[in-house]
Amino acid sequence: MTVTQTEAPAARRAGAAEGELEKSTGRRNRRTYLALLIPGVLGLVVSFVFPLAYMVRMSFNKGAPDGVIEETFTLDTYIQPLTDPYYWRVTLDTFQMGVTVGLLCVLVSYPVALFLARSTSKYRGLLIAVAIAPLLTSAVVRTYGWMVILGTNGLVNSTLDGMGLIDTPLKLTNNMTGVTIGLVEIFMPYAILAMISGFGRLSPQLEEAAGSLGASKLQIFTRVTLPLSLPGILTAFLLVFVLSISTFITPRLLGGGSVQVLATEIYDQTTGLLNWPFAAALSVILLVLFGLIIAVYQRLTKKIGG
Amino acid sequence: MTESKLSIVDLTKRYAAGLDPAVDRLNMEVEEGHLVALLGPSGCGKTTTLRMVAGLMDPTAGSIVVDGKEITHTPVNKRGMGMVFQSYALFPHMNVEQNVAFGLQMRQTSKSEQKRRVAGALDMVQLGHLSKRQVKDLSGGQQQRIALARALVVEPTLLLLDEPLSNLDAKLRETMRTEIRSIQQRTRATTLFVTHDQDEALDMADRIAVMNGGLIEQFGSPTDVYERPRTRFVANFIGQANFLNARVLSETGSAAKGETHYRVSIDGLGQFGAVGAPGLTGSTHELVIRPHRLRVSLQPAGTETIAGVIERVNYTGDALSVAVKAGDRVLQSQMPTSSGDLPRTGDAAYLSWNEQDAYLLPTPVKEPAA
Repeated sequence: MTVTQTEAPAARRAGAAEGELEKSTGRRNRRTYLALLIPGVLGLVVSFVFPLAYMVRMSFNKGAPDGVIEETFTLDTYIQPLTDPYYWRVTLDTFQMGVTVGLLCVLVSYPVALFLARSTSKYRGLLIAVAIAPLLTSAVVRTYGWMVILGTNGLVNSTLDGMGLIDTPLKLTNNMTGVTIGLVEIFMPYAILAMISGFGRLSPQLEEAAGSLGASKLQIFTRVTLPLSLPGILTAFLLVFVLSISTFITPRLLGGGSVQVLATEIYDQTTGLLNWPFAAALSVILLVLFGLIIAVYQRLTKKIGG
Repeated sequence: MTESKLSIVDLTKRYAAGLDPAVDRLNMEVEEGHLVALLGPSGCGKTTTLRMVAGLMDPTAGSIVVDGKEITHTPVNKRGMGMVFQSYALFPHMNVEQNVAFGLQMRQTSKSEQKRRVAGALDMVQLGHLSKRQVKDLSGGQQQRIALARALVVEPTLLLLDEPLSNLDAKLRETMRTEIRSIQQRTRATTLFVTHDQDEALDMADRIAVMNGGLIEQFGSPTDVYERPRTRFVANFIGQANFLNARVLSETGSAAKGETHYRVSIDGLGQFGAVGAPGLTGSTHELVIRPHRLRVSLQPAGTETIAGVIERVNYTGDALSVAVKAGDRVLQSQMPTSSGDLPRTGDAAYLSWNEQDAYLLPTPVKEPAA
């Protein structure tokens, strides 16, 4: 009797100690995880958060034409782009370009992505590699390539001319048309990759099931394939949109100076006019544009994700 | 004979030239209202056959006739069949009701008719209360029922089931077996059922087609394929079996169902009685005896017994499997357990059987060239 009495508390104590030990190892684990996060977080803070904060701060400064920056707190830099119709034009053009490039890119990439996602060929891996291989060349090189193809005496115009279809060369460079064509092709690999990874719920069995229930090929596509590939399509669109409105090289080179979008404007303000506060304000506007689109995207994915 | 619901004539599928055909000149007649199991090991061509009937795969040769109409090259969406896939293939972007209504929408059934029939189909599988649920919120068994409701709501010419129970756990599988069978009998839907599980086939089917290597080895009722296997493969695939090479000495009389009683001689073990198709006298055939039809007794009883020694005893609760070594052969026997004395390894044992439980396979064994 006494033995059991002394034993019980001892056992309880041991149990308690064990619980304590568990708790402390849990705490230690959590601390280890946090410690492991430090390098990444530190990197982000140094390379992303600080510059971003600096940029936002910069956008409230006052810039003078000769590059002098007056440390102050003013909203002038925002008032100008928001009141000047020119900047409204540029912002709208940027947005429109992003949407157009996004839509066209999704449209031309979708069949490729669908084919690759559904392929059971042993060459599937190779085909995917080929589809994204253009990423191996820089966008600058590919933009120059498009300049050659689309130019006044380029491949497209000389072919159409040779076939007698046109008398005067089409104007395909130094305007938004050229920029759009170039961007669509340049961003196709991204769109294809984003779509393939977003087609997770699509399976050949679902299409077979729809067929066995009486759906025609077109009905299978509209009722099953398309709805199930929407997440991939949306992701691809978002990615291409974001890449398009932030890209600088292609609008500058294929636009030949006559296409003004926020990215080229920011570049000009930064390096040409040395008006950093103004460039910073434009950058913030561009960021807001991103934010808006991402908010819309999230709402949409929640809706179609069921 | 009445005209069959489904006739499959010389159906062949070759995936690539030079390869052995996956399905090789297969012939089958299915009666209206029957549930036919296509049973066989993986790669035997059972799923390929089902997919050709469904229209999901083009046959290389042969024809498929349903209700007297050839449909060999009719596109899948014009065949009006109901298919349940192994993965159920429910549409993840639609709720339960929308899934079931899909086939009716494709047939442009009126809205009110759709509503009525969807509700009816869901009640049939006892899931009426889940009509607004998302597919991903259902358990495996529930998904299985919805898939069944979706296939049946269109009143299909044929119901095609591709291993519908293989993704369920053992307990649920038993329940669904009974449920599918009872729904099938209520709707009188002529059904093709692909499975590799012999118990499932024996339990559910009106007819079983045992397939191997793209061929039907035997097509018959569950008792036929179990009691009167036509080949060693069938005897082995459905249930367990002992095989003994037996030389057929003489006929001793006629048995039921046109079969014949024989005297056979088994090398080194003596002479015994057996049954088989008529006209086997003079050649050597394999004798099939199911383990639970092989009696084991510990005392010599009667004359036609095989004497041996118990080599191994496995107790499984319901039954006792006993391996008996007789000469250089080991025979498997099964006996019900009782609380009495259990046979032990090393005991002498005497094996015997009822004449009608020893069945001679119809094809003679090729004698080794002497």
